Amino acid sequence: MKRKAILTLSNGSWLEGKLIGAPLVSSGELVFTTAMVGYNETLSDPSFFGQILIFSYPLIGNYGVPISTGMDKAPGLESDKIHASAVIMTQDSETAYHWNTSTTIDEWLKQHGVPGIVGIDTRELIHKVRDANKLLGIITPENSEGSRLLHDKLKDFNHSDFFDPGCHPVTSYVSTPTRKIIGKGKTRIGLIDCGVKWNIIRNLLRLGCEIELLPWNTKFSEVDCGGWVISNGPGDPANTGDLGARIAGLYKETRPMLGICMGNQVMGLAAGATTERLVHGHRGHNQPVYMFGTNKAFMTSQNHGYVVSKQTLPEEWKPWFINVNDGSIEGIAHIEKPFWGVQFHPEAAGGPCDTQWIFDDFVKTVQRGQM
Amino acid sequence: MSLFKFLKRTDEKTPKVLVLGSGALSIGQAGEFDYSGAQALKALEEEGIQTILVNPNIATIQTDTTANRKTYLYPVKPLWVEKIIKEERPDAILAGFGGQTGLNCVLALDEQGILEKYNVKNLGTCIESLRLTEDRDLFANVMRSIDIPIPPSMAVKTLEDAKKAALKIGYPLIIRAAYALGGLGSGFAHNDEDLSKIVKTALNFSPQVLLEKSLEGWEEIEYEVMRDIEGNVITICNMENIDPLGVHTGDSIVVAPSQTLTDNEFQTLRNASIKIVNKLNIVGECNVQFALDPISNSFYVIEVNARLSRSSALASKATGYPIAYIAAKLVAGYNLIELNNPVTGKTRAFFEPAMDYVVIKIPRWDLRKFSGASRKLGSSMKSVGEVMAIGRNFAEAIQKAVRMASENPNGMSVTTRFKNSTDEELISEVTYPTDERLLALVECFRRKMDIERIHSVCRVDKWFLKKIDEIVVVEDEIISTFNGLVKKVTISDDRELYNILEDMLFLVSKDTWIHWKKTGFSDQQILTLALNNVPELVTLKAKYDDEKYFKKLFFLVRKIRKNNVRPVVKKIDTTAAEYPTPSNYLYVTYEGTSSDTKPFDEGKTPIIILGSGAYRIGSSVEFDWCGVKCTEYIKNNNMQSIVINCNPETVSTDYSTSDKLYFEEISTERVLDIYEFENPKGLINSMGGQLPNVLTDSMAMGGIKLLGHSVDTIDMAENREKFSALLDKIGIDQPRWKNVKSKDELNSFIEEVGFPILVRPSFVLSGTAMKVANTKEALEEYMEHATKVSPDHPVVISEFLQDYREIELDGVAHNGKILISFMTEHLENAGIHSGDATLIYPPQKLYVETVRRVKQAGTLISKELNLNGPFNIQFLAASNKIKVIECNARASRSFPFISKVTGINLADLASRVFVAGLTGEERIIPPSFDEYNLASVGVKAPMFSFSRLEGADPILGVEMSSTGEVGCLGNSFDEALLLSLEATGVTIPKKGVLISSGRLHEKIKMLDAVTILEKLDIPIYATEGTAKFLEEHGHKVKMIGWPEELDRPNVITAIRERWVDFVINVPKNLEKEEMQHGADIRKNAIKHGTSLITTAEMATAFFRALQQYDEFINDHKPVMLPQQKHT
Ligand SMILES: Nc1ncnc2c1ncn2[C@@H]1O[C@H](COP(=O)(O)OP(=O)(O)O)[C@@H](O)[C@H]1O
Ligand SMILES: Nc1ncnc2c1ncn2[C@@H]1O[C@H](COP(=O)(O)OP(=O)(O)O)[C@@H](O)[C@H]1O
Ligand SMILES: [Mg+2]
Ligand SMILES: [Mg+2]
Repeated sequence: MKRKAILTLSNGSWLEGKLIGAPLVSSGELVFTTAMVGYNETLSDPSFFGQILIFSYPLIGNYGVPISTGMDKAPGLESDKIHASAVIMTQDSETAYHWNTSTTIDEWLKQHGVPGIVGIDTRELIHKVRDANKLLGIITPENSEGSRLLHDKLKDFNHSDFFDPGCHPVTSYVSTPTRKIIGKGKTRIGLIDCGVKWNIIRNLLRLGCEIELLPWNTKFSEVDCGGWVISNGPGDPANTGDLGARIAGLYKETRPMLGICMGNQVMGLAAGATTERLVHGHRGHNQPVYMFGTNKAFMTSQNHGYVVSKQTLPEEWKPWFINVNDGSIEGIAHIEKPFWGVQFHPEAAGGPCDTQWIFDDFVKTVQRGQM
Repeated sequence: MSLFKFLKRTDEKTPKVLVLGSGALSIGQAGEFDYSGAQALKALEEEGIQTILVNPNIATIQTDTTANRKTYLYPVKPLWVEKIIKEERPDAILAGFGGQTGLNCVLALDEQGILEKYNVKNLGTCIESLRLTEDRDLFANVMRSIDIPIPPSMAVKTLEDAKKAALKIGYPLIIRAAYALGGLGSGFAHNDEDLSKIVKTALNFSPQVLLEKSLEGWEEIEYEVMRDIEGNVITICNMENIDPLGVHTGDSIVVAPSQTLTDNEFQTLRNASIKIVNKLNIVGECNVQFALDPISNSFYVIEVNARLSRSSALASKATGYPIAYIAAKLVAGYNLIELNNPVTGKTRAFFEPAMDYVVIKIPRWDLRKFSGASRKLGSSMKSVGEVMAIGRNFAEAIQKAVRMASENPNGMSVTTRFKNSTDEELISEVTYPTDERLLALVECFRRKMDIERIHSVCRVDKWFLKKIDEIVVVEDEIISTFNGLVKKVTISDDRELYNILEDMLFLVSKDTWIHWKKTGFSDQQILTLALNNVPELVTLKAKYDDEKYFKKLFFLVRKIRKNNVRPVVKKIDTTAAEYPTPSNYLYVTYEGTSSDTKPFDEGKTPIIILGSGAYRIGSSVEFDWCGVKCTEYIKNNNMQSIVINCNPETVSTDYSTSDKLYFEEISTERVLDIYEFENPKGLINSMGGQLPNVLTDSMAMGGIKLLGHSVDTIDMAENREKFSALLDKIGIDQPRWKNVKSKDELNSFIEEVGFPILVRPSFVLSGTAMKVANTKEALEEYMEHATKVSPDHPVVISEFLQDYREIELDGVAHNGKILISFMTEHLENAGIHSGDATLIYPPQKLYVETVRRVKQAGTLISKELNLNGPFNIQFLAASNKIKVIECNARASRSFPFISKVTGINLADLASRVFVAGLTGEERIIPPSFDEYNLASVGVKAPMFSFSRLEGADPILGVEMSSTGEVGCLGNSFDEALLLSLEATGVTIPKKGVLISSGRLHEKIKMLDAVTILEKLDIPIYATEGTAKFLEEHGHKVKMIGWPEELDRPNVITAIRERWVDFVINVPKNLEKEEMQHGADIRKNAIKHGTSLITTAEMATAFFRALQQYDEFINDHKPVMLPQQKHT
């Protein structure tokens, strides 16, 4: 018999459900995803750091959790841990059958010290999250056994307070502490890690690149590479210290640059634009975008609450992609230099891979630059 | 307008588009094409396009005429379509919404250069691609060219090549015919023997046969893909077959979205689908089917349907995304980003729906209705319909689905079927799938069999097996809970079962109720589990035998359950709540605490209309037509329509048809849940056929206000005892009948009326288990069977009247007064179920006096029953004697036929009567109508699907067996008959006709036909008796032997070697032995695709008509369906 667990919301209301995963108190920003597959990719995505993830799809864990794959092997996991503060779903699958499964979602959450709630009306909760500008939550299991440790640097954060990833320098919590080389090849990519998903690395390796994974606060002048990729990551892009300023420095040169999600936002900031918070964040596998000035549309995987504000984009930059539904900016490009940013996730995992060609084009450009 | 740019039109004339329908409903091609066609027509007409529809299926919604739609009820065949093209000169043709029939027709039109000749543009996916997807060999090459893996396969045209191919690929093999839908003529071969057998049959259906490595046991997954002219692609959803490869998708239990696929697998298959549609340059919709290895990443593409399909209809209903509607807009030249997603109104059509619920489809089979038909499922489809259930967890969804499909509120908890099977029998049931595999699986888990063991034989994914097991575990909990509770209550002889049960139910805790209901158990299931498994209750209930009492117990359970938990109503919005939507597409669930929607405001007039549930033999698209027309009437008269139905193939479950759509069970419990939530002004249950009709009594007990016929009226008409007493009272004759309870009663009845005698259980649909007996032995056997079919109802026997004509009276009455009624005449004599008979309107051969008497009887019955709504009365007539066989106090099968032929919409008129009480309309003036001033004659002919039912005897009798119907108009009866027969696949004899006919005076009837055949000099072959008879009457015929006579050329050879391309086989009587005799002839005719007629009446009529065939087709000017008057 599962123990009870309470979800307290920053709007004063609360809901009761049953506990899965670790019997720990945990708090964060409530966000939801409408994805119907890929819960394992999503939960291991560093961009969800400090967030409580609600799955709109009611049945989660059906095929279990894949045997850990590593950043240079087959997809399945996007990092070596679960970054979300906690999870909320209608029903978890207590057994998992798949030829490549290692354990159930419940076990997996326990292993990573992450609590979850099942058996509440997730659709009703999503209505609340959707209509609130921002909603924070705390999950409190019946006779809990402590608090979820989000990160060593947050050891003494008291989870009976609401944790808001938007108000913390979370980039520093998820970025690689040290520089490391991945793969071998003539095309060297400097990958600025704001919480990179492994599938970005896998895509660059697929194209024969040699990647140098860089802490977010690296001095770029010390890096020898043919092109830059700025990764996805959690938190408020405006809360990334001097990262914007250092990227602005790179704009003086012509080395190709690709920003993804958070990467796109900081590129915007570096260009002099501002970012704003979306009323309805984009989180799911069915976000439609079209290429600015064309009728060509793509289905994309997305996970962001902030966007580059259209009107603040300086004139040497233009929108590259636009969201088909709300018209927000989904990508920016420099009018002559090879600088691109996309707000969505061309690396997918999970979600549609229809924009994977962006990596191919980018790497080709880098290679041309080196010739 | 977009279509202009697409057709490159310069002038301002409104473009005309000719749309091909799919013809009669048959196995493999059913109601889904009425839905997709109707949506396409709507989408085009919105653009101001003039549509011209060719579809002989008169019972469909799409064949209704509209302001800019012309309907031609003609066979979807090049010959006729060309005539219509010539007449109408359309700019373009649209075939993708008419199933395989439409597709094959447009391919033929193209080959014969007709499209070019009249400069008709083919809209949507180009002909070349269509041909590619149909020719399995070409297809294979294209797939290779884009490295999409396909199972090793070879296409052959002869048996010899097939054998060679088998050597190359190796057994096991699956063999399939090209250009055939629903896997017609396909099967699995494990050795040369199987191979020859299957290939031979397959070659009868198609010039080309595909041999393919068998992937039995792999997971079967489908994707629905849309693509616009700009090349933008989306996948609407994927669907996972619970039955692995080997069982046709149409016969599989299907779940959406996929449950066991990882993101990686999901995307791999999605990418492949997109690659394929891009390569094929699809414009519109496309269905891609995959086989996925359950133990690795490898997969194969099985087939691609570059058209709307059964699956696309299911996907539309599962996601709320109107695939056919959008596809039509794409075909008209729009792209996906300029179109809106109609469900949200805000977001765009370039969007992949997100579901926050589970959808399960379960097919509906009627295999037991066909004597001799094999129940095994395979690569060739056998189901006649399907249901779709929506839930927020798997258990809830599948339990709903089983109840919907079986129309039994006890659903998965029904134990009767396998209770007494041995474990071995069970294992073989799940190993070799039949229509009952799911129930067998449930029984396995009741016996605590091990999942691994079951999986190893049935190959169903363990996750699904586990989910079924979990339901059985809760079933067990329910039983043990009640066994525990019974100890806590006082049981004594003076205490009623009701009160004892009440005490027990009060002790069930709230959490327990919630748990049971979340797991999908119906109140009735819970009640039945208690009554059948708690020894104390089993003894108690034996004391009661009246139905009403058990209904009271049901309402008791419901009352107490409601005090603990009630379901909530959720929306289907395509965005999983990401955006606020006005969606009116709803379902009911226990997995949730708050409802998404509110009842209509005060002052409105909401009315619930019950649909007809799964299409099945005896209840099909005709009842959806009735429901939809009624819904439209209510909408158009500013009342609010709320539809409840669970059949994804229908137009009534298109959320744009009604103000609110509940995709839900048509059961007392669920209808009451919705009724109590919406609290409408009333409910209409007489437009959906027999299913909602039989709920009348319990719905009334539950406090539902029924509009139209009163509960008593319906009961009086349904209950044979009461109805017959009523007939006696008003002095209307009926066949003598008896509700026999003892042997003596039986004997004295036989004494009185003599044989043949008709056995018919009461409270059944479409003559289920009705049989005609000529001997006492047969009679007793049939009665035993009948008692099995409906155990708790009396079996009625009645005199079987031979050589009587059959007449039907359909109409609408108001407060006992008939507003308007129409007589239809059956071509065949009584003894062939009205659903299988050929109907003629206006009647051609009835005495005026007979007409008077029938109308008179109608008036009296209506008055006496106080009919208040639609009705159908069936008569037998000889000379001027008329006898009543039954009265249905509800809309009937013939409503759309009559409404369209006469131009008077009976469904409209009936709806007007339903709401008269609410609108305060006391006196309804019926529309005027002059039967003798009718532009054309209408003939309604049945469509049979015997070719799909291996082993079934294609004989007509008192039990209905047709799966669909057509209705055609002609300038004369002969024209209408020829058209309607051609539309049901009967082909004109050229090579030769085989006659083998029954009783003497049927032989005599046949003489005209024979004379005509001689005129047309078509060679005649006959079996001994018939041959002798014909020669005596001076006709030249070739005599051939019966099947068993191997020493001389026999009928089988004649059919197989194609000496004859037409067979007339009239059984002497409907007696078993006799039918056995002709059975081989009939089965072989079907097997080799030879036209077959089994009644003398039809044979005579057909050949009479055939004499004018040539003039008819040469100078025939197509007759358009007249515009309908709305009352
Ligand atoms: N290679 C195969 N091995 C085993 N079963 C197969 C194979 N190919 C098809 N099937 C089964 O046969 C069914 C019908 O095949 P399909 O190509 O879809 O014909 P249809 O045109 O009737 O849909 C499929 O649904 C699948 O269950
Ligand atoms: N007494 C009878 N004599 C001859 N044929 C009969 C008789 N009763 C019924 N039939 C035939 O059986 C068919 C089905 O009987 P009916 O009572 O209408 O069953 P259902 O309720 O399924 O329509 C009728 O259409 C008619 O052709
Ligand atoms: Mg198929
Ligand atoms: Mg009848």
